[in-house]
Amino acid sequence: MKDPYEVLGVARTASEDDIRKAYRRLAKKLHPDLNPGAKEAEENFKEVSNAYDLLSDAERRRRYDNGEIDASGAERPQRQYYRDFADGQGAGAYRPAFDGSGDAADIFAELFARQARAARRGRDYHYTLAIDFLDAVNGASHRLTTPDGATLDLSIPAGINDGQVLRLRGKGGPGSGDGEPGDALVTISVRPHRFFTREGNDIRIDLPVTLKEAVLGGKVETPTPTGKVMLSIPKGSNSGSILRLKGKGVAHGSIRGDQLVRLKIVLPPEPDAELEALLSKWTPTSIDNPRKDMLS
Amino acid sequence: MTISRVEFLRRVGIDQETLDVWIDEEWLIVSDTEHDSPFTDADLARAHFIRDLISDLGVNHEGVGVVLHLLDQVHELRRVVMQQARSELPAGHTGDEN
Repeated sequence: MKDPYEVLGVARTASEDDIRKAYRRLAKKLHPDLNPGAKEAEENFKEVSNAYDLLSDAERRRRYDNGEIDASGAERPQRQYYRDFADGQGAGAYRPAFDGSGDAADIFAELFARQARAARRGRDYHYTLAIDFLDAVNGASHRLTTPDGATLDLSIPAGINDGQVLRLRGKGGPGSGDGEPGDALVTISVRPHRFFTREGNDIRIDLPVTLKEAVLGGKVETPTPTGKVMLSIPKGSNSGSILRLKGKGVAHGSIRGDQLVRLKIVLPPEPDAELEALLSKWTPTSIDNPRKDMLS
Repeated sequence: MTISRVEFLRRVGIDQETLDVWIDEEWLIVSDTEHDSPFTDADLARAHFIRDLISDLGVNHEGVGVVLHLLDQVHELRRVVMQQARSELPAGHTGDEN
């Protein structure tokens, strides 16, 4: 038997008014009829009520304080709560107008139907698959072996993005009963490429060209995700200038991105005597300082 | 088991006048007032609750009606939920077994 002061959460010196207030506060929370579904409310409420019965009676409180009676001396008789009748026939007269055939029934029918569906569907399985950059751009088929030994054939659509998730319907956990199996969800991770990068639907590449190709122009072989193409370098192309190969980017539905080629002029790996001789004899027609914007 | 008016008043601890008010307010609904023992155990438990609301919980006269109205709806919703739970769940299980 707990100390009634402790049960009500009041000091031993609490006034009658304090005790009543403490009891009311607890009773509002714990009264079984205000907690129709909480079975434990009855025990808790009984404890609080017993404590209140004892402490609200000045004479019994005095005797308890003097140690003449213990906390159980105030035990309430068993009683029945209205909630015990509320579900049965006895409460018929108090039942509100809406009955089991109205809106409420529809709401709950839907609720339970949903729950039943969800409960019987199999679990989704999650996988991660790393694919090559070019497979992501061009599309590919992959076979995945799951930890439990099953194989999944995966068709990767052209233009898939890093982090995109492919759903294989019905390839997840088995459903219980007549429930559908779950899905396999494969998260795609795209490995970077040695020289291609992707920006939306465009492919970017830095293309080395010789000084001669840059100055005189010409056709050079350029890799694209779908194979080599000949790229025309205009006469006098600068390092860093960007040439566009239309339609050589990533296919995305009916539209296709471009490939953007940035030229990078490279000098011969070894000093070239002929080039040096040539340039030392060369006098630019206009004296131009390429750094003048920085220095002015 | 039904309970007579006198017994009912004694067990709830209220007087005749108070009971008449509760019945007027439809907090208690007595179908056959002419009957010798018009009250049921459910009525008795409900009357105890009304008494608790007023004397222990400090709910005023108007508040009691509000509390009872909401509580009756809670019970009805609970009843419908239980009913649906019973009628929906077995249907799911037959699917499992077939």
